[in-house]
Amino acid sequence: MGRTIPSANQYLIQEQESFSRFRRALRRSDQLALDELFAAARKHAAALSYASHALPFEVALLSMLLEEHKEVMRLRQLIEAQSHQENG
Amino acid sequence: MAEFSGWLLDLYEDPQAGVVLWFITEETKRVRLRQVFPVTFYIGGEEKELKRAGVFLQSHFPSARIFFTNRKDLYSQSQIPVLAVETQPIHITALVRRVAKQFPRLDYYDADIPIAIRYASRFKTFPLALCRVTHEEEQLQALEVLDSPWELDPPPPPLRTLQIDLDCDPRYGKPELLTIRFNDKEHRIPIQYERSSLIRLNSILTNFDPDLLLTNSGDIWLLPYLLDMSKRTGIALNLNRDPNRSVMIKKEGSYFSYGRIVYRSQQTLLFGRCHIDSRNSMLWQDYDLASALEMARVTRLPIQTAARCSPGTGINMMEVITALRQGVLVPWQKTHGEEVKNAYQLLRNDQGGLVYQPIEGIHENVGMIDFISLYPSIMTYCNISPELPVPKDLGVSPFPPGLIPITLRPLLEKRVAMKQHLLSLPPDDPQKPYYQARTSSLKMLLVCCFGYMGYKAAKFGRIESHEAISALGREALLRAKEAAEDMGFTVLHLYVDGIWVKKEGCSQPDDFLPLLNEIVDQTSLPIALDCIYRWVAFLPSKQDSHMTVPNRYFGTKQDGSSTVRGIEIRKHDTPAYITRMQEDLLGIFETAANVRELHNLLPRALSLVLERYKNLRAGRVRTADLVVHKRMSKELSAYRVRSVAAIAAQQLEDIGQPIRLGQRIPLVYTLGKPGVSAWHEHIPLDPRSVNYAYYCELLTRAAGAITQPLQMDEEALNMYLISDGINFASESLFPLH
Repeated sequence: MGRTIPSANQYLIQEQESFSRFRRALRRSDQLALDELFAAARKHAAALSYASHALPFEVALLSMLLEEHKEVMRLRQLIEAQSHQENG
Repeated sequence: MAEFSGWLLDLYEDPQAGVVLWFITEETKRVRLRQVFPVTFYIGGEEKELKRAGVFLQSHFPSARIFFTNRKDLYSQSQIPVLAVETQPIHITALVRRVAKQFPRLDYYDADIPIAIRYASRFKTFPLALCRVTHEEEQLQALEVLDSPWELDPPPPPLRTLQIDLDCDPRYGKPELLTIRFNDKEHRIPIQYERSSLIRLNSILTNFDPDLLLTNSGDIWLLPYLLDMSKRTGIALNLNRDPNRSVMIKKEGSYFSYGRIVYRSQQTLLFGRCHIDSRNSMLWQDYDLASALEMARVTRLPIQTAARCSPGTGINMMEVITALRQGVLVPWQKTHGEEVKNAYQLLRNDQGGLVYQPIEGIHENVGMIDFISLYPSIMTYCNISPELPVPKDLGVSPFPPGLIPITLRPLLEKRVAMKQHLLSLPPDDPQKPYYQARTSSLKMLLVCCFGYMGYKAAKFGRIESHEAISALGREALLRAKEAAEDMGFTVLHLYVDGIWVKKEGCSQPDDFLPLLNEIVDQTSLPIALDCIYRWVAFLPSKQDSHMTVPNRYFGTKQDGSSTVRGIEIRKHDTPAYITRMQEDLLGIFETAANVRELHNLLPRALSLVLERYKNLRAGRVRTADLVVHKRMSKELSAYRVRSVAAIAAQQLEDIGQPIRLGQRIPLVYTLGKPGVSAWHEHIPLDPRSVNYAYYCELLTRAAGAITQPLQMDEEALNMYLISDGINFASESLFPLH
């Protein structure tokens, strides 16, 4: 039983490797941030696979954005809670 | 005419004609009968070519009966004209080979079906079936089967079991003593005195007359060695119960399965009694005799074969029986290929089960819910079979049940019934392991049925059906996830057929009941609350600490038992010393009722790791406990850069112990080059040359996998261990979260 198409995880690893020249030319701090973006995409590998999108990198970008937005929401809630505490 | 009731023990081709059957009567006699039983295979193809094949067969095999008939083709669901060839069971293999060589373009059907399967399809027999038998002298006249393979508690046959153990593993040294056990008796026979040991063994075999011969390494070493001894001394050894047959030795081999090479060692098979080699039985390690016998009953394969074959072969044989009973042709070599698909269909269909990355960390009161035999349930409920149109959604099929659902339904029902029976037993019931072993073998068959459907050479496989099953599995799991989220549960993990959920205030089975009902409503598939974890830890990947991996976790259930996946304890290549350390470590954490107690137990766990680490560093560990088993995945000559397994394999080959593909090689890591030494009595190994530092690394990694969720990762643990634990103060350095 072989698979014709690479799994979502394999695909993301390949995609990340294809950016290795781009990554190399980045500053160390930016490299770490880029790694985190790809890690964010890998968190949604199951959904990426299920989506069966013809251009999976679009789904990977959306996954990165999703994690970024979750972080924005978390920070927003934190700030709101803090200002609530200060005002209340 | 005489009649008796008894259990069918063995069945094989009669060297003259028909079949030989062995029964254990209710009066505990062992009876051999013969029966006329011609068998038929079919040839399909162009009419002109078929006629030529008919003429060829008539001239070369005048005893065979040859005629034209029509039989049903599974894929086209129509009757097709075929040439039928009826012959004696003993001749069929040679006959098929000869005609197939002469006419390779023709299609052959029912050509490679074991005799026990043909017989079972006709008379509804199976190994250890209770039968009523009518016979005249040695000729069986009539047979009626009184029970069925689907009985939960079949009447137990009075089997006589003889076990032979060796004093050492023949792969690593020469055994010198046989220990023979039967009826609570024990005999010890030194092998070096060949004549006397053969005479004693013969006397035991004759007087006790066992039905089952259980050995350890009997296939590769013991029985062939005893037969050699018999030849050397001229003392006949009555291993077989049937005096007209000699012991059958099937050659070893390797094959590729699920991405890896599997080694199948030589088999030594008996006639009239069954030999089971626990080392060469696929199921033996996890289960035992009960599971091998269960496998034989439901697959209808002879006990000796069922104990050694893969579950894939078992399920294949069950499908063949259904086909034979329905008069469907069983292809010898499948010619039905994959349908043409466009890129989008390929992209969409070529997927496995839905697998999440779980939420990292330790979670309390986690309910683990799983679909009961998800894929087989989908196959029977949605009626998925290669001859039927592929269903698009979870739902009842408008077609009559197909070949695969017909085969699976009783198996599935038996497993569910047995599982329910198991749940009704108290935890300390002595019958529990017996039922557990049997349900596990049923599970193996059910699991393989799905995989087999996608196997290109499976007689009744079709990749589109295989893809539909996993698509509907993903659909069922997503519906379960949606139901859980709608009801306010947090979905921690999804894994093919299981879902891990938690919700504030839900800690008892009844709390999860509404969710179970909702999932059943949404999917119509059977589901059960497998367990509630007091706590479960999902671990990050070893390669990437940012990520969790689907199958790397451990936890303690409410009943106090543990589940461990994906860590060293579960791996074959972990040395015993490290496995024991991990077991003991988990044993400490097992007692924790919640996360706070887990943290409180950390100091105790760390001192255990430190003690084991110090012993290892100082070399106070038996070398045998450091042996690692690695699998050979390529021929030695195919390695460009030699792996540790290849180096050790070469060392074994150099002392005349060649290793076959797929075999596991025992080795020890050593200092200097080549860094590894094969573990064998003829390869000397100085304990001082063992690479203890490397083993310390392995131990730290294994312990770190367990302590990591408690903020003590491998790096921190290493610091703790190399400083002998003196810098450690749990509360200050590793505060609770």
